[in-house]
Amino acid sequence: MPTSRMLRRATPWLMLAPSLLVLVPFFVLPIAIMFRNSLARDNPATGMLMPEITVANYARILGDWFYAQIFLNSLAASFGVALLTLLIGYPFAYYLARWAGRRWLPVLMWVVYMPILVSVITRVFGWIVITADSGILNGLLLGAGILREPVRILFDISGMTIGMVHRYLPLMILPLANSIAKIDPRVLAASTSLGASGRDTFLRVVLPLSLPGVVAGFQLVTAVVLSDYVLPTLMGSTRFRILAPAVFDEAIGSVRWALAASLAMVMLAIVAVTMVALNLAMRRLAPWARGL
Amino acid sequence: MRCGPPRLLGFYVIIVSAFLVAPIAIAVVLSFSSVEQLLFPPPGLSLKWYLAAWNNDKFLSGFGVSTTIAAISSVIAGVAGTLAAVALNNFRFRGRAAMRALIVVPLVVPTIVIGLGLLQGFSKVGVGPGILAASLGHAVIGIPYVTYLVLAAMSNYDLRLDDASVTLGASRVGTFFRVTLPLIRSGVIAGVAFAFLMSFDQVSISLFLTRGDPLPLRLMQHIQYNADPSVAAVSAVLIVASLAVMLVAGHTLQQHDVGNLRRAR
Repeated sequence: MPTSRMLRRATPWLMLAPSLLVLVPFFVLPIAIMFRNSLARDNPATGMLMPEITVANYARILGDWFYAQIFLNSLAASFGVALLTLLIGYPFAYYLARWAGRRWLPVLMWVVYMPILVSVITRVFGWIVITADSGILNGLLLGAGILREPVRILFDISGMTIGMVHRYLPLMILPLANSIAKIDPRVLAASTSLGASGRDTFLRVVLPLSLPGVVAGFQLVTAVVLSDYVLPTLMGSTRFRILAPAVFDEAIGSVRWALAASLAMVMLAIVAVTMVALNLAMRRLAPWARGL
Repeated sequence: MRCGPPRLLGFYVIIVSAFLVAPIAIAVVLSFSSVEQLLFPPPGLSLKWYLAAWNNDKFLSGFGVSTTIAAISSVIAGVAGTLAAVALNNFRFRGRAAMRALIVVPLVVPTIVIGLGLLQGFSKVGVGPGILAASLGHAVIGIPYVTYLVLAAMSNYDLRLDDASVTLGASRVGTFFRVTLPLIRSGVIAGVAFAFLMSFDQVSISLFLTRGDPLPLRLMQHIQYNADPSVAAVSAVLIVASLAVMLVAGHTLQQHDVGNLRRAR
């Protein structure tokens, strides 16, 4: 019967309708409107948008050193934090995937999941206690005679970096552990029995085979660092301005919607280019693996 | 091959675990401090910061606002995400890949971009910041989580069960509620719980779509002006609450991931 066939064809779309009803008007459309606004002009006198089409905002944020500095800082922060989480997280993920036994695996999984589930404000509070000028870390270093006077960590790049590495380490560890766990142990045994040293086996077998996890983790972490508002605001320095607080300040503080929209569009472009570039790099380096 | 982990690696794992847990543990300990300064270890113990937090109207109303937004958005995300996951898993149709991409994309778009876009979009139709606007914004990032977790729960779902139900005379809708849904329940519960917790802790979208009244924004304002242990007291209560949510709902989630790691070995 044609009607029942039509019904069958419509079923998946009926089931997707609620998601479409949320995502089209409240995700796709707003970004389209914001793109249009990024081509408008702010009227500084009224705080309203002038309905014209101009690329002046883009010219301004890409030409002005003030904004260029923000982009460079943001890129440095997101790649730096992603690299740090990768270096710190890889051995941990390796242990999680290969060595953790029945007893420790659930414990370690909780250790990784807990920071994700605990409010970011809680974690920042803990780090403030640790990294403040009169905090635990400075107290220990002063007490041990390593320092003569407290070193500034909180409200500086280092404090923000510590907070971000802590916040995003689980996002790196989980995909890494997944991809390492997928490696067939017999491949490693083969490598060893063919005479490769432990170091060679790691560099030439384990590392390349875990590349999908490395790329997935890197993509996730770079994207979330770019949109982090809390850590730069609560732990960072006003001398090291980065994108998320800058977008908020332009939109709400200075009520320059068109300019804020253009900053957001460039941010979106940076994320998209990073994703695609990492996928392409992986296809070159590891043609057998599939991207995110 | 060696038959045990190198001792150095085990030591390293302990250090990284300590790094992950330390700030959370310290925040909990400090919530019982007897003084206002953030001294560790605290010179004395008291419950006065819990009292101070309870008497702080901004925290209390913030808790109400955040709970409302999280409840509305996680229910929307739960219904939409579950149905989407079943559609993507059980049907092959034209446009499936595009739909899958559309549902996942909100996860990689910076939340600050989503927030600003929604603010500008809502203002076009005259909707101001508030609980409704924030709930819809949070639902946008809740849907991918629910869809992902339900899809994971369906990874070894046997489609013949649906066919059997229909062959035996049940309607498609009846089959969904009486066969499919009970089988994927753990994924749905985990997804809704995760979406709830993510919404409760959301900052970037709430910045644009509320009047600064959800709990995380209240706590942020408080930390910026006077960092006292009352923030830690709220944090400790939230930790207990989110652990409770995860013990009820997330047990399945953890089991699932642990199981995945084991099976993949």
